[in-house]
Amino acid sequence: MPTTAKNITPPNKNGKDFSAVWIILALLLFIAVISFFFLSRQSLRLDEAQTLWQSSRSPSGILWIVAQDVHVPLYHILLHFWQMPLGNSVPTVRLFSLAFFLASIPLTYLVGKKAFSKNIAIFATALMAISPFLNWYGNEVRMYSLLLFVTLLNQYFFLGLFVGGETEKSSRPHWTGFVLSAFFGIFTHYFFWFILLIEGVFFLFYRKIFPPKTFRNLALLALLLLLSVLPWFWYVRSIGIINNSDPLLGKPSSVNFFNTFSQFLFGFQNDHLNTIIVSLWPLSVALAFLSLRKNLRTPPQVVFFFLSALLPIVLAFFISVFVRPLFLTRYLILTVPSLFLFFSWFLSAYSKRLSLVLKTGLVLIMLITLITQIRDSNLPVKENYRDAAAFLSARAKAEDVIIVSAPFTIYPLEYYYNGPSKMTTLPLWDRFKTGAIPAFSEQDLPTEVAEINGSHRLAYLVLSYDQGYENNIRYYFDTHFQRLEEKIFSNGLRVYVYKLRYDDGNFGGGA
Amino acid sequence: MPNDLYPPLPSEQMEFLRTTTNKPLLALNLLAAAVYFFVLAFWFERGNLVLYLVLMAGEVFHLWQVFGYIHTVWQTNYPIAAEKKCFLPVDVFITVAGEPEDIVENTIRAALCMRYPQFRVFVLNDGKVAKKENWKAIETLATRLGAVCITRTEASGAKAGNINHALKRTSSPLVAVFDADQAPLPDFLEKAVDYFADPKMGFVQTPQYYQNHGLNETTKGSWEQQELFFGPICKGKNRLNAVFMCGTNMVIRRKALEEVGGMSEDNIAEDFLTSLFIHKKGWRSVYIPQILACGLAPEDFLSYHNQQFRWARGSLEVVFRYNPLFSKGLSWGQKIQYLASASYYLSGAVVLSNALLPLIFFYTGLIPLNISTMSLAAIFLPYIFLTVVVLRLTSNSAYTFKALSFSMSSFPIHIRAIWAVALRKKTAFAVTAKKKVQGNFLSLIIPHLVYIALATIGIVIAISRQGLDAEVLTNSAWAAFNISIFIPFINAALPRATTSPDSKVISVLPAKNADTPVLVSGQQALEVKNGQNSRTN
Repeated sequence: MPTTAKNITPPNKNGKDFSAVWIILALLLFIAVISFFFLSRQSLRLDEAQTLWQSSRSPSGILWIVAQDVHVPLYHILLHFWQMPLGNSVPTVRLFSLAFFLASIPLTYLVGKKAFSKNIAIFATALMAISPFLNWYGNEVRMYSLLLFVTLLNQYFFLGLFVGGETEKSSRPHWTGFVLSAFFGIFTHYFFWFILLIEGVFFLFYRKIFPPKTFRNLALLALLLLLSVLPWFWYVRSIGIINNSDPLLGKPSSVNFFNTFSQFLFGFQNDHLNTIIVSLWPLSVALAFLSLRKNLRTPPQVVFFFLSALLPIVLAFFISVFVRPLFLTRYLILTVPSLFLFFSWFLSAYSKRLSLVLKTGLVLIMLITLITQIRDSNLPVKENYRDAAAFLSARAKAEDVIIVSAPFTIYPLEYYYNGPSKMTTLPLWDRFKTGAIPAFSEQDLPTEVAEINGSHRLAYLVLSYDQGYENNIRYYFDTHFQRLEEKIFSNGLRVYVYKLRYDDGNFGGGA
Repeated sequence: MPNDLYPPLPSEQMEFLRTTTNKPLLALNLLAAAVYFFVLAFWFERGNLVLYLVLMAGEVFHLWQVFGYIHTVWQTNYPIAAEKKCFLPVDVFITVAGEPEDIVENTIRAALCMRYPQFRVFVLNDGKVAKKENWKAIETLATRLGAVCITRTEASGAKAGNINHALKRTSSPLVAVFDADQAPLPDFLEKAVDYFADPKMGFVQTPQYYQNHGLNETTKGSWEQQELFFGPICKGKNRLNAVFMCGTNMVIRRKALEEVGGMSEDNIAEDFLTSLFIHKKGWRSVYIPQILACGLAPEDFLSYHNQQFRWARGSLEVVFRYNPLFSKGLSWGQKIQYLASASYYLSGAVVLSNALLPLIFFYTGLIPLNISTMSLAAIFLPYIFLTVVVLRLTSNSAYTFKALSFSMSSFPIHIRAIWAVALRKKTAFAVTAKKKVQGNFLSLIIPHLVYIALATIGIVIAISRQGLDAEVLTNSAWAAFNISIFIPFINAALPRATTSPDSKVISVLPAKNADTPVLVSGQQALEVKNGQNSRTN
């Protein structure tokens, strides 16, 4: 029987009647506890510090700054107005992101219930709530949880267009929500366009199940979106080159590709644990074969979530390899709800016993990895600028100098540092001038170091986010000055203390 | 005969016949398979040369299997409607060689009840030459019911010889053949004979439906394997005029059979080989995707094992003695189809070799390729996931993990068949038992149990040698994958109760005081069957 709008029956809602509301509330409480006691209290990270710095400007200043960055400005504008009444303490600004993460939880349930059934929706919602990855970025001062929320909203309304056999008239509320969420989405993150692309592709394959005139409406929407974003593109282009205030990205490999899925499920783990997780990939083949069950139909919703979970990752990977590196797991957070909804349906398709075993196993492993992620202070994503700044505040005097490399890492240090020492960067960078961060030059290094050092007594060299020249800088200092101390504050964040002068610091003391 | 005596089969049991295809997806699957193969073969540094060659041989075979399957199911709804009505006389053959009388009686009655203007029913009784005790009872039964009994007195050619013997003593232009347990539905001839209005039609094949498929793990696995074959595979062969005879539930044009010297007595898969000969003469064949007869799956593991061995042995002989690629008179589509079907039974060797690779690594550290685990995953996973999707889609979600398990876990049977063909050992035609053979069949799963033991020990050795590194973990996962495949097969071999309470079996049973067969519900059928073990009629 061909699949049309009329015979896409609403999903089976006859799951067990455990109270979904109470379960969702419990999950929200779980997230709140994790956030309050663990995640919101961590040191500000580089990206967060940049966001705070950007959003502290006026709205026009935000647009100007963000246009030089690789992002779109909606989140920064919203954060700016959030800070106005509430201040900019780390927990407060993180609360803004947490709010969107929390709102995504019941929204996931609604999406899952619309697409499938209560049981599948509840399990997917639980995965969202205990996901180490989502908990991490749900507490980060960045646009990722807003992106998560807007994506879910957009998918909810998109589902409403074809699940349940909507007519043209009854689909109007869904169209309204779809259009509005699409506008919010494209100004939240550039990757949101992947979601819209996949929805278009899905429509092309399954157009019979959509209400009449969907093609016209989608085409109009595409046109409106492009027209609305054109002024922004023109503005970005008119300002000039993106100023490279972010770390350089390399081309991704197959390891990055599979690590993405590993991180979505199990968060950030140390190398050994990560190796264990991804090396067991043949088990996924067994799971795929086990899904060969008699008369198990694959409704269009499953195909939709599968495409939404996989295609953005594949597209980002190939663009990064062949055009420009932009493959970052956090940018792909918008695929996580689809991935969890697909998994939830997939695991529910097994026999009851096997389904229960697999679901229980998955939940347990995710909880364990959530705990290890919280407890392990050596993870690369944990950047302890706060303790580094506290050390500098306690030790560095007015006659000392703090040298920060890579230059853009000055943001998080600046946020926490309250001491009298001058803080500068290597290579030298004037952040208030338009343009990219100067490139490192081995030839210019002695001159720049001499200029920085001046008549200072001690140099506190703060190295993090190696851009390929960190060792050169450290080697120069090691061979020209006496190293007094080395401190490690987190994975990749070190402070070296060098003696610049050989007198005792008492000026004018003579023979 | 009133139709309400024959309730239709449950709709969910017909799903395997309602197939669809998605050509872009099939093409993508083939592309992914090819990319995987060529990248694996030429992109990465070789490890141990012998293991590399073994791996590559297996991958060549997999690529061939993928191609063969896609070639088959490229279009499964090829139009096959008969152009006009046809009422040629038919001789109905029921081949018997010692099967229980109640089962034979059921089949004879069903045959006699077919709606068709002109046909005769012949019971081809091989019980005497096969030294079965009930051969006389079969003669009496046939006569009582009104069928003609032809009892052979000289043994030659097993079932093929039995049919050839009867051909000489009959004369209708068409011959319908049923195994002793395959009871035709009343409209069998009505639907099958119309295709012979085409003067070039050589034979017509219909599905072998196992009405006892829900009885136990063996019947379930056996039927679920059949669903793939009688579903998309046979339907797909219509496009290529490559449907072959399956030994029962078929109608053959006598002239076509006589042109090739009758049923081939040289091969224990006589139906397969005879089909090849008939196609070589330019005759056509068609598969009707409708259940028009109901029979019985092997009910015990030993019977299943023997049936699979016979099919493997016979088919592999076709590959090595009558290689279809070099057969004149066949189209290229037919050549590919015959070779694909026959070579399927080489898969056992490939399954075993792939399963051994992790074990060899555990014990020796040797690997076929120096490839990072993630790089292998990057090329393998798209191909295998697409294959799973294609299997589900083309079989209309009828293909199951159990069927896959039975296919892959039959590697000892296939290897034994390969060995027998290579050494030209004679294999006697053994009729598949129609009633459960009692006994413990754990000896048939020794290879699988040994594999589990070796894998377990091997993992410990590998971990103690090199710790929990990526190589050890990935190979352990592969060993676990293989074991998961074997589990349903092992489970089927375990001694357990024979009946499944939920089985819905439609059985054709003789009414007590009528000549009319009666269809009853599955549970009743099982109860009566158990009672019939000691009943006298």
